Amino acid sequence: MADDDMGEPKPGQWPLVILAWVLVGVPLLWGVYTTLAKAALLFK
Amino acid sequence: MAALLSRERIVAKPGFNRWLVPPAALAIHLSIGMAYGFSVFWLPLSKAIGITKSVPCPDGPTGLQGFFHLLVQTECDWKISTLGWMFTLFFVFLGSSAALFGAWVERGGPRRAGVVAAFCWTSGFLISALGVHLHQIWLMWLGSGVIGGIGLGLGYISPVSTLIKWFPDRRGMATGMAIMGFGGGAMIGSPLADILMKRYATPTSVGVWETFVTMGLIYFVAMMLGAFGYRVPPEGWRPAGWTLPMAERRAMITTGNVHVGEAVKTPQFWLLWWVLCLNVSAGIGVIGMASPMIQEVFGGRLIDLPGVALKDLAESQKAQLATIGAAFAALLSVFNIAGRIGWASFSDYIGRKRTYFVFFALGILLYALVPWAGRIGSVVLFVSLFCVILTMYGGGFATIPAYLADMFGTRYVGAIHGRLLTAWSAAGILGPVLVNYIREFQLDRGVPNAQVYNVTMYVLAGLLVIGFFCNLAVRPVSEHHYMTDEALREPARPSQAAVRTP
Repeated sequence: MADDDMGEPKPGQWPLVILAWVLVGVPLLWGVYTTLAKAALLFK
Repeated sequence: MAALLSRERIVAKPGFNRWLVPPAALAIHLSIGMAYGFSVFWLPLSKAIGITKSVPCPDGPTGLQGFFHLLVQTECDWKISTLGWMFTLFFVFLGSSAALFGAWVERGGPRRAGVVAAFCWTSGFLISALGVHLHQIWLMWLGSGVIGGIGLGLGYISPVSTLIKWFPDRRGMATGMAIMGFGGGAMIGSPLADILMKRYATPTSVGVWETFVTMGLIYFVAMMLGAFGYRVPPEGWRPAGWTLPMAERRAMITTGNVHVGEAVKTPQFWLLWWVLCLNVSAGIGVIGMASPMIQEVFGGRLIDLPGVALKDLAESQKAQLATIGAAFAALLSVFNIAGRIGWASFSDYIGRKRTYFVFFALGILLYALVPWAGRIGSVVLFVSLFCVILTMYGGGFATIPAYLADMFGTRYVGAIHGRLLTAWSAAGILGPVLVNYIREFQLDRGVPNAQVYNVTMYVLAGLLVIGFFCNLAVRPVSEHHYMTDEALREPARPSQAAVRTP
């Protein structure tokens, strides 16, 4: 079955995609930021 | 309830957007990735009774009797080395459960596996909370180590085959995104645990059991959202307009499917097992010793006191160095996760075998250069070498599922990946043991601290040389291992191994 058979992704799903990525992306970015802030001591 | 979790129930409906699947996988991997960050609890737990300082254990029984006494004693604080066994349990049970339950995950689907993983991981936290509250180390080992470790294994492999089936055009990138989450979990979990422990700490509690309960519940919600977000594509689905390029079809990407029971009989499986084991052994060895290594190699140079060895520094100066060591370890963890998404995505363009060729060839060179960087006193070069090495450690984890899919097809890739993860368990023991014993041996022979890691680096480079040749020996799987069309039409079963006759 090709994507054509399933139809294109519904436009209404894109806000859901963005919400899902924000939910996982924001904590991950916070974690990376916190870690980089700690790592910055190496360069002082 | 069983129907709600079944594979059939989560087949995507027309109009489904495949970009919803990676965040679902990330929700699970970011949660279980906290396994890497458990060391944040060791120091507070080593003062769980004394609160402000550790209460040492009086002389008691030794041997087996002493071990059983340690499991149930409530009068003195745990040593950090005792708590550290949790890591060993994590990775042994991760590998074992992934190997044992991989075929079940393929059969039952990712949602069922994700839900069971959520229950195991959360139960681990709650049982550990009880263990801390009652001061019973065996409850912590059983809870987080064993039950949580099983949750780790199930959660880790739950999205792999689903992602590969949704992204046949970008297998590396898709699995790289999820496995990046496993590397990033500790980056969220460790500071969060730190905040929570400070919040819950009282004059009579170090705040760990309350933190375990809170984090267990947070992870439960996140993992259930992830598990219920999983969808599998209909059988034979492919992105619109996409076909496997002919050039790749001829080379290292199979069009057939190999059953998990048959895959483990092939030399390709065992070559890839060693590829993963050796790449991970070298990386784990480095991660474990990163902080003490930079302090011992450079000593006073790190705080503008060149020529002063670590042992000759004052206590306050040693504390400064410890902070710098922790900063180095933190920087490496960022490169570890960057390598997971970066290298895995890059492998979609250059191929999996070439990617591992780079890991091993470049790795050998970089490990061999580390002693030279230490000798010339270049902190920048030393740190840079390890940053690149750590990208390849993470990249090795993230690229292996796509390598397996290329070799054995997508039908049983999750189960085959599960079996291969025993290499991780083996590496979790091999890497640190090798590094620690070589270091001790060198110190006993009177080698100065600044040079004590040189031989270790050459040994790790030697491991990569073996890995290099294992990868070089990987060839496409012979077609007689492929499943027959008839076997492919049947639902996945663990014992089903009908193969084509040569």
